[in-house]
Amino acid sequence: MVGHIKLAGLIVALLVILLPSFTLAQDAKFSVSPTEVKIDNLPLGESAEFELTIYNKDELVHVFTFTIFQPPEEERREGRAELPDDSWISFASPNIEVPAKSAANVTVTVAIPQEQKWTGEDWETWLGVAAESSDLLAIRLYVRLLVSTSAAMEAGVNAGLVVGIVVGIILLGYGGYYYFRRKTKPQRF
Amino acid sequence: MKSKITSIVVAIILALIFSLPALAAESESITITMTGVSEISISLDKTQWPLGNVASNTEYMTSPPIEWCTLTVEGNRNVNIFIVGEDAEWLDNPSAYKWTLSTDGTNGENLYGLRFRISGDTSRGYVPITKTEGEFWPYNGGSSLAPGDSKQFGLKLLTPTYFVGGRQMQTQITISAVAA
Repeated sequence: MVGHIKLAGLIVALLVILLPSFTLAQDAKFSVSPTEVKIDNLPLGESAEFELTIYNKDELVHVFTFTIFQPPEEERREGRAELPDDSWISFASPNIEVPAKSAANVTVTVAIPQEQKWTGEDWETWLGVAAESSDLLAIRLYVRLLVSTSAAMEAGVNAGLVVGIVVGIILLGYGGYYYFRRKTKPQRF
Repeated sequence: MKSKITSIVVAIILALIFSLPALAAESESITITMTGVSEISISLDKTQWPLGNVASNTEYMTSPPIEWCTLTVEGNRNVNIFIVGEDAEWLDNPSAYKWTLSTDGTNGENLYGLRFRISGDTSRGYVPITKTEGEFWPYNGGSSLAPGDSKQFGLKLLTPTYFVGGRQMQTQITISAVAA
């Protein structure tokens, strides 16, 4: 009898409950637009902004969260490299509540640091949108974000401008100096 | 007098020669292209699998095994689908106890396996779900799913060979889509 009780206790100890919440709604129906965003000629040190629209097609309000995902090389568009730093991308809010049968926008900002090594780059990263849920199965929709920085010309731009201004100032100063020197020379009568 | 004026003019011209291209280049605008009215969406007809109590070192399958859940492509873009899992955590104290998700669908002490199988996919059979996003559809360079397409699939759970009993565990499998 004691043996039976011990066995029963052991069986109970080995049981566990793998139980998703029953209280939450089924699959949140939603969509995201656009599906792909391409930013060209983004100057280093500057930022670009765009909006993602989330359509909550469900009968219930849902909170949507945003993530950044670096896709593997075989999933990226041809010629695109991995974005070096996720922190260059920011969402206006980490999540957004969207009422039933409604749409909401979130602003995404892309800012690349002003470092020479990032000129002329073509990157890709994915922006994920998911409805908060504790169900076993969840859906996440990705938007492809393609970012291209200004070519090396950007670095030459400032150099050209500086050289032009310096040469102009030198020549203007030189001309002005001689002009006023001649003008102030005592006249011979 | 003439030479003074000439030198000033030359200076201005030289300054402009150097700075104009630079100024012109700076005015080049950032282009943001967003694919028109494209919209991405997928749906699942089931998101819960209430297992109740489970025993150690035991395999559980959804019922029906490989037609348990239907994934449908909505929106208006062809999509590639991925699947990723995570560790199962103790609901009462997630940081205190977990089952680690195995990398190959096998099990061990506090190590559990998850697999999926798509109806009609005879070449892969059951595929492990890991913590790294894996191909759901297409696979091996196949074609993506078009709007209106659907795929039925099922899940298989292999519980750890040993775990602490009486604890309610929770995990999540995320199915994701990106424009093909």
